[in-house]
Amino acid sequence: MPELLKPEDPHTLSPERKADTTRVGATTEEEIQISRPSLRDWLDLRLGWSGFVRKTLDEPMPAGVGWWQTLGNLLMTLLMFQFITGFALAMYYSAGTQSAYESVKNITYNVPLGSFVRGLHVWGSTIIVLALVTHTLRVFFWGSYKKPRELTWLVGVFIFQVILGFSFTGYLLPWDQKAYWATVVGTRIAATIPVVGDPLLNLIRGGPEVGSLTLTRFYAAHVMLLPALLIGLMGIHLYLVRRHHIAGPVNPQRGKPEPFFPNQLFKDAIVQLVGVGLVIYLALSMPPALEALADPTGVDVAPRPEWYFLGLYELLKVMPAGFEIIATGVIPGAVSLGMIFLPWLDRSESRHPARRQWIIVTGIAVILLIGLMTLKGLLDTPPPHIPAPGHGTTISGH
Amino acid sequence: MKDSNTEQCSCCNPCSKDEVKPDPKSPDRRKFLGASVGIINVGLLAAIAGPVLGFIASPLGRKRSSKWVPVAALEDIPEGAAHEISYKLAIKDGYQDITQKYTVFLTRQGDDVICIDPACTHLGCRVKYQDDQKRFFCPCHGGVFDAEGKVVSGPPPHALDRHKTKVEKGQVWIQREV
Ligand code: HEM
Ligand code: FES
Repeated sequence: MPELLKPEDPHTLSPERKADTTRVGATTEEEIQISRPSLRDWLDLRLGWSGFVRKTLDEPMPAGVGWWQTLGNLLMTLLMFQFITGFALAMYYSAGTQSAYESVKNITYNVPLGSFVRGLHVWGSTIIVLALVTHTLRVFFWGSYKKPRELTWLVGVFIFQVILGFSFTGYLLPWDQKAYWATVVGTRIAATIPVVGDPLLNLIRGGPEVGSLTLTRFYAAHVMLLPALLIGLMGIHLYLVRRHHIAGPVNPQRGKPEPFFPNQLFKDAIVQLVGVGLVIYLALSMPPALEALADPTGVDVAPRPEWYFLGLYELLKVMPAGFEIIATGVIPGAVSLGMIFLPWLDRSESRHPARRQWIIVTGIAVILLIGLMTLKGLLDTPPPHIPAPGHGTTISGH
Repeated sequence: MKDSNTEQCSCCNPCSKDEVKPDPKSPDRRKFLGASVGIINVGLLAAIAGPVLGFIASPLGRKRSSKWVPVAALEDIPEGAAHEISYKLAIKDGYQDITQKYTVFLTRQGDDVICIDPACTHLGCRVKYQDDQKRFFCPCHGGVFDAEGKVVSGPPPHALDRHKTKVEKGQVWIQREV
């Protein structure tokens, strides 16, 4: 066989050949004949990959950028894990009211590593929300949403909402008591909106009650719609981050920008290691549970939403009768709109917190309110007037 | 270089001027074709959005009807306190026919029976009846109702819903939506 037709393998090339292929360009006809490009060069010509990698590694990091800027990449890593564990879970899950609970039970108690993989997915979602909130707060306090990064922020807000959508739809899938009742209450929130409330509720539930069509709707959103949206939004977000580069500290620090590699990338890797390690630790030490099968006729414990919706849950408790729309619509709506329009509400030129006081004060007030309400929800045990099971008069006829 | 088009060109071979230059001789044709592409795209969007949205929103068109259901024998309901009764009903749940268990509270005064639905009027949790306090308590956001179903305290906006009842030959029937 003539040598030129041998399969491409960079490792078997002679040293001269290797050297040859790394040359920038073969000039003479003869040289083109001889210098078969390495696989790397072959791909590079077609993909432009090495340029991309080099640009990424050389991405300028202004002096003062450090640990706080690792959260975005942590989120990407955790989301990748979430996609993978979600895909794996979907192979054992069955989205029907007669089968969902059994399939999750099987995953949790029978399938080898099932409890662990489910634990990674469950705890991953919690750590993602924590990282997301921290990332958002750091961008807020650094004022990084200001010109020209308004749209980076805006896309980020949409990502935030998509993530909350993931957790709301995912919570129903095990079809246990907690899942069912949190969804009954959570979807009813839609019905408190004047005029369109009832049709909206029917649309979300796929009918007047939470049932088999609610489950398939939530499943379709959780595994098709939301991932597609998230990937698209993340792509735009990252493109914009690269386009405008990371903003430096609010007080510009002395020193030249450093390339992303190696210092920042190393910090990113450490944070990813800690974040993923935490998820693994939680999945092993607190494996996910499953409550009793969903029972539309009753609840024995107070149904509670996922912890990051507890603030809203507490808010609902303190709203007087007839004003629930304030808790279900007005306040969450105002917070969302405030987040969406933040770059245009905050007109100050400076990113320094001292020079955009009202925004910072309002922001801290909102954060404190949400934080305190969430804390209250976490500390709250079910209301004391609900007695232990067995006290009430429950007669079952028929 | 005179022509900015050639300068900006990102492909590897030097490209000729005419390749990227708009055709100045027929601006109307350009406009027409551009508008056509726009219209075609709107048509494509409508072709997919119309059927899919109609498909997704179909539960909105479903009519509910009411039905009388026998739930208990009158003599089984003691006078006074609200009594939780459960009954089964064959319903259509999306793609499947199932037998769903429901509960209601029945209160009897002589031959009159009132039937209270256990769904809290706030956001739909199931209320529980406390015999000793003669009150309904909601486990979710602390709604409290009296034995008649009227709001005592908490966020619920109005009294617990009632179902129509009738008593025939010692049998209590309630009317409910299916
Ligand atoms: C899963 C969701 C998200 C991912 C994967 C992600 C990813 C990233 C990455 C990799 C960076 C650059 C490094 C860093 O600053 O940490 C970044 C920056 C940024 N993110 Fe996000 N992000 C997400 C969510 C959000 C949200 C919810 C917001 C705002 C509401 C947001 C707003 C921003 C802004 C404005 C920047 C530019 C920061 C600067 O220039 O200093 N991101 N994001
Ligand atoms: S659902 Fe009963 S008080 Fe909220």
